[in-house]
Amino acid sequence: MKKFLATMLALAMIIAMLPAALADEALEPITVTVFRGDPGEQPTDDNKIYKMIEEEFGIKFEFEFLAGDLDETLGLKIANEDYPDLFDGGNSAELIENADALIDMLPYITEEGTPNLYKHIYTDNRVAQLLDEDGHLHIIPNYGINYNGQIQNAPSGPQFFLQKQVVAYNNYVVPKTLNEYFDLIERFLADNPTNADGNAYTGFAILCEDWRHFCLINPVQHLMGRPNDGEVIIDVNSGNWETTTFINQPYAKDYYKKLNEEFQKGLINKDTFVMNFDQYIAALSSGTILGMFDQAWDFGTATDALNAAKMYENNFVGMPLVYDESYGYGVIEEHYVNGTVMNKDRGFGISVNCQYPERMINLFENLLSDRWQKILQWGIEGEDYYVDENGRMLMTEEQYNQRSDANWKKANQALAIWESAPKKQGVQDDGNAWAPGDQAEMYFGFMNEYDIDFYAKLGVKVPGDLFDKTLELAPYGEAWEIDTTPIAVDKQDFEDIQDKRLPEMIMADPAEFDALWDAFVEEINPCAKVFSDFMQEEVLKLVELALGE
Amino acid sequence: MTTAAFNNAKRSRRRDIVFPICNTIFLIILMIITLYPVVNTVAISFNDGTDALRGGITVWPRVFSTKAYVDILSDSLTYSAFWISVSKTVIITLLNLFLTSMISFALSRKEYVLRGFITTILVLTMYVNAGLIPNYLLITQTLHLQKSYWVYIIPSCFSCFNMIVIRTYICGLPEALVESARIDGAGDIRAFFQIILPLCVPVLATVALFVAVGSWNSWFDTYLYNGSKKNLYTLQYLLKMKLATTQASANAAKASTDALANTTQTTPITIRCAITVVSAAPILVVYPFLQRYFVTGMALGSVKG
Amino acid sequence: MTAKAANIALKPVRKRGFWKTLGSQWQLMIMSVPMFLYVLLFNYAPMWGWVTAFQDYTPKKGLMGSKWVGLDNFKWLFSRADFIESIRNTLAMSIINLVFGTVSAVVLAVLLNEVRNKAFKRTVQTVTYLPHFLSMVIVVGMAQNIFSSTGTINEILMGIGLTKEPIFFLGEEKRFWWLVGVINVWKEVGWGTIIYISAMTSIDPCLYEAASIDGAGRFQRILHVTLPGIKSTFVILLIMNIGHLMEAGFEIQYLMGNSLVESYSQTIDVFVMKYGISKQKYSYATAAGMFKSVVAIVLLLSANFIAKKLDEDTLI
Repeated sequence: MKKFLATMLALAMIIAMLPAALADEALEPITVTVFRGDPGEQPTDDNKIYKMIEEEFGIKFEFEFLAGDLDETLGLKIANEDYPDLFDGGNSAELIENADALIDMLPYITEEGTPNLYKHIYTDNRVAQLLDEDGHLHIIPNYGINYNGQIQNAPSGPQFFLQKQVVAYNNYVVPKTLNEYFDLIERFLADNPTNADGNAYTGFAILCEDWRHFCLINPVQHLMGRPNDGEVIIDVNSGNWETTTFINQPYAKDYYKKLNEEFQKGLINKDTFVMNFDQYIAALSSGTILGMFDQAWDFGTATDALNAAKMYENNFVGMPLVYDESYGYGVIEEHYVNGTVMNKDRGFGISVNCQYPERMINLFENLLSDRWQKILQWGIEGEDYYVDENGRMLMTEEQYNQRSDANWKKANQALAIWESAPKKQGVQDDGNAWAPGDQAEMYFGFMNEYDIDFYAKLGVKVPGDLFDKTLELAPYGEAWEIDTTPIAVDKQDFEDIQDKRLPEMIMADPAEFDALWDAFVEEINPCAKVFSDFMQEEVLKLVELALGE
Repeated sequence: MTTAAFNNAKRSRRRDIVFPICNTIFLIILMIITLYPVVNTVAISFNDGTDALRGGITVWPRVFSTKAYVDILSDSLTYSAFWISVSKTVIITLLNLFLTSMISFALSRKEYVLRGFITTILVLTMYVNAGLIPNYLLITQTLHLQKSYWVYIIPSCFSCFNMIVIRTYICGLPEALVESARIDGAGDIRAFFQIILPLCVPVLATVALFVAVGSWNSWFDTYLYNGSKKNLYTLQYLLKMKLATTQASANAAKASTDALANTTQTTPITIRCAITVVSAAPILVVYPFLQRYFVTGMALGSVKG
Repeated sequence: MTAKAANIALKPVRKRGFWKTLGSQWQLMIMSVPMFLYVLLFNYAPMWGWVTAFQDYTPKKGLMGSKWVGLDNFKWLFSRADFIESIRNTLAMSIINLVFGTVSAVVLAVLLNEVRNKAFKRTVQTVTYLPHFLSMVIVVGMAQNIFSSTGTINEILMGIGLTKEPIFFLGEEKRFWWLVGVINVWKEVGWGTIIYISAMTSIDPCLYEAASIDGAGRFQRILHVTLPGIKSTFVILLIMNIGHLMEAGFEIQYLMGNSLVESYSQTIDVFVMKYGISKQKYSYATAAGMFKSVVAIVLLLSANFIAKKLDEDTLI
């Protein structure tokens, strides 16, 4: 009874004090420490967006960015329990989650109190995938939550690429299969061994530096008609989500055998296997590489360089290739483009050291409002963009270009917060795009003449129309996102063997290829088994979470 | 006899001409080989960034541009960071020279009974490393030096390598000099300051160069301990951060669906080269002043003369 | 005469007991003990970290909470063929670096010492030490261009007919160590010279004059005056560097290496980065570090011992 009374008394006191405390707290200016698991630069002191945030919410930020090794840095913070208020663990957020550095945000998010956040994570039952095993929500994803559908003018992910002039040479017919693709490069090379300056063309480049070895490894799954699941193929129709590594399968052998043949024909150069990323970009930018497999975001700098040099015909167009029927796998439908993946475990968490969790939630809630999303993504109306008579949000070319100036960004955008905070993507309720670059008028308005003509001749509106975009995201997301720390050493071995043996095989005497392949499969099978078993388990866990079975 | 002597003289005179010529030619070739990468770096740093991506720039920019330098120097933090770097480099260099040369002298005295013990303990520090985490906890939890200027100074007062260099030099000095001081009744401390220290100028100049370059180039301490204090940033850290950001945004436009807004004008190669030039320039400016002191024969000659 | 007198005057000091002698050397203690304590704090106090080599350490659990695993971490390391390879590569590359680096620095220092024109001498010195300030990324990038199939070196070799096919420098295992050696010399030769040039300043100019009067030629002067003048520096540096044989660097191998040459490019430090730090296996990293330290100390003490036996200068 005494206990009950005491509790009631305490409750009454809290309730009495609550409004006052809340009001006071909202006014009291605070400094919030922020760690970002990515490199970044300090904003200027008079940054206009941070000033607005300070005026409206009374919050100032003190940023810390990554400059060294991420895991090492997080390890130090964990050892010292030295957590910032807002904590973005970058690619290794699982480290800080496992160290119990982040609070559970779920209790703070309610339909009445925080409608924006509530809608953000509860629509389509996203929340099921975001919770950890104890049902806690540590991080709200920074990207991958679309409103009113997804805009994809040009897929940024994996594709086989060809120089536009090669496709033009083929009378604007885009190859659909691996054999057509290499056949076209061979024919083009036979007619045009060098460019106008007399530099020899290289038919096909393969980047295999460090983590970018996906250019060497990943094509196999796509040729078999699957989206990017990293280093496994998951049979979504099997009912038990059968997960297998593909690199040791016969259908992978077909691809590398093809590369071996092309190497013999001189389409692939030895140097491609020792190239670093800078050299690769230099080679692409010089316009002498006719084709490669890559992800579009990976070589954006080369695309810019080619456009800046007005070498439009040397720039690249992506295409989804599959094995044709002669390989004996039947008719394969391409699925290069997947439904949007929520960037799970990427974004801000609130650390257990944070004194003001409510105010942080309140901040995210408000920043997710339409008004703030426009400020964060587009800027200030009249200053950074304008609205035409039809209500379309537009930028002049000057306004658009200054967005890529590093010093302008530091003074005029709140990137360090925006990049990790929950945000709206896709389409606004009034039909404008959330991201300026997705706005159709601007996408076409800034496109060069050559490209407009080129895509017209291909018969597509935007490059994305070359791809089938109807695939829905599987319930497990994309398997490359799965954290493989528990089997890190086996995974490393698995990758090392591929990185070493596949280039050796491609460069080998064709007579020895089969023997080398068999030796490779034997060598890689033990760690491939560990890896695929692990992935199988994780995929099933994710499916169970998503489908709530 | 006379003929032989004559021939000898002739031969040696010819050798006296041949050697300097060969030597000069060799050194000029060596200069070209070592200068090329430097000139190349400078050329790229003054080239337009997007154009530089195409490679093939050798000793002269293809499309001249100072944008990389403008980007670096127009950062509002550059100047404060520059002064932090200069001041900490000067303080560390002076402190290090003073403390290191003093202990070097003490450990060069053969009669000092703790000589072997202390030397061994010091030398081993060059070969054992406890690892990052314990060192980090020492600075943050025991000494509470994080988020302060002192974290640049206090852990960097001593370097064993430099101690050895100075000690070796002192051991090479004539023993008689110190002994004569003792006869005069001067203690070790006075002998060190009045007699040994002035003689050590060439080696101190060398060590000053080592310490200053090391201190100037360090960025990891700023990163570990002062990453959230932008008014304590050093120049190297700022540049390192700029480079990392440029590379990250060039590589990872993937996070954004903002297809067009990715990376126009983000130019890692040019920025990287400009950063190299900017960060090395101050040291290169200081070098000739130090170099004056290691011209052969100066030290002893001046003392004895 | 005065020196001898002083020696005699000092002798009796030694006969007093240890503590008394120490007491009389209070000035030397003032000059050395504070730094000694400093080193104990900054270099030896954190050594508790070594116990994590015997744990399955995680930062969250800390020293007290982490599980003890005995020698498992060491067993794991030595069960890995690539760790054994990385020891071999580390030793091979650091020996190549030591030999090439020392020889080239000494030769350049001697050649510079023979230059009479001061302006030229300073120019050469300044220019040759410049590459030290280029970051490894830039140097390696250039080296990769120069050594590629279409690069300058292959063009020269094919031009003078030494080879018909371009040599695949960057993709052949057996060439990697030497490539690293060449690049290191290129980058560091000028910097390495500084210490020898500074040592040459302590050579008494009278010795050169005396040698000339005795009719010594240039090479004899180098042999009998210059080289003996830098011998103690040379020996001390050699001993120190022998202790550093377990450190062959990280950056250059990490940047230059590729999957084709990995079994010859991976050093211990690269191995530690790959498995220890990037995979949060801190205990592997500590165990490898401890192993390195122990080997380094054994190497150092042996080199020092041999130097003592040969009656040369010693480090300790």
